[in-house]
Amino acid sequence: MMTEFEWPWEYTFPPFFTLQPHEETRNQQIKVWSDLFLRYLKYLNKFQVNINENTFPLFNNDAIKRRLSPETITVILEQLQRTGHAAPLDKRRIEWQVYSYTLEEYANMVYDWIQQTGQLNTICTLYEIASGENSEGTEFHGVDEAVLLNAFRTLENKGKCEVVQLDDSFGIKFF
Amino acid sequence: MRRRAGLGAIQQQQLAAEKYKDKGSDIQESQFEQMSKQMEVFRLKLEEFAVKHKTDIRKNSQFRKQFQEMCAAIGVDPLATGKGFWSVLGMGDFYYELSVQVVEVCLAANHKTGGLMELNELRRRLIAARGQSAVHQEITNEDILMAAKKLSIFGNGFAVYKVGKGKYMVQSIPGELSMDETKILTAASNTEKGYVTLKMLTEELGWSDFRAKQSLDKTVSEGLCWVDEQDEENSHLSYWFPSLFPGRYAQSI
Repeated sequence: MMTEFEWPWEYTFPPFFTLQPHEETRNQQIKVWSDLFLRYLKYLNKFQVNINENTFPLFNNDAIKRRLSPETITVILEQLQRTGHAAPLDKRRIEWQVYSYTLEEYANMVYDWIQQTGQLNTICTLYEIASGENSEGTEFHGVDEAVLLNAFRTLENKGKCEVVQLDDSFGIKFF
Repeated sequence: MRRRAGLGAIQQQQLAAEKYKDKGSDIQESQFEQMSKQMEVFRLKLEEFAVKHKTDIRKNSQFRKQFQEMCAAIGVDPLATGKGFWSVLGMGDFYYELSVQVVEVCLAANHKTGGLMELNELRRRLIAARGQSAVHQEITNEDILMAAKKLSIFGNGFAVYKVGKGKYMVQSIPGELSMDETKILTAASNTEKGYVTLKMLTEELGWSDFRAKQSLDKTVSEGLCWVDEQDEENSHLSYWFPSLFPGRYAQSI
């Protein structure tokens, strides 16, 4: 049983759902929203959002009848993109991938784990890393495979691993 | 037969007048001397009293309040002099310490409150920040007001505004609240959740639409309040003060 999510006080503050006109206030607002996005999605273990998903509690506080407009959601996601915590999945920027650690952080975590467990130079499947028994208890266990794959792509660019296509999945060899 | 005034009589009169004058100044002098003595005695007694009850004054907020009222009644400010006999009290220290804590607490919350904090909340935060022992817990709103007011000597970065009956807002950002802003703040503090609408200002304060809009825009542009465009009950526009929003300190302490 999951413990109940702790919303920040701002979530009950009605103007929190209106993008603020004053710059300083808006910056503060977006910062609180960004933190809340990451914290809430991590809590749900959710890695993908759609800006039109208007019944999603993160975007919509029923109790006070306030919701984020898709435009405001986009502003927040763009901020998360700047800090390396989100990326749009389509050209119209409707679907987004969001992750509480940056891709680089995930890549480093996995790489350290591979090193510590002596799995360098062998092929691991994406499934093994993301959901296998061996990775239980690590921060990247249970992370969306698509997110991890993107993380390995950054590692591949540095020459520290190679991603190979298996039948219907991926395998990764680290060096 | 009436005697006509002669030279001798005039001289005598002058002499008498002079004697009266001398006597008068004599009396005045002795009165002054007596007063000085009395003041000296009083000062000594007050000092004795202060020394004797030093710990009570520092520890007991009720006692401190009464002592301060007594000082105010005779026109003495125990905080004004750091040196001299008042320093035996350490009263100054108490308030200096409190002032510094007021600054710390306010500045730490500025980004959330927009630089305004209600006095009761400030007290709660101060108590939380001051530690567990009873001496630290016993601070009254009067103590905080006194400490906060002392801060105004550093310029306009710190100020205390009275909004409504017994309600105070402590401002901790540079700049002064205008009369209109203080009125808006007062109106908002009279609502349960700390917001105002254009209509409230025009109806309750008799302002023109233009004046209300202008003042509200200014308040927003200073970061003191937030705009809510989804308020259906108030034709999709209301202005909220995080510093007055009760939901905020329900969680953050």
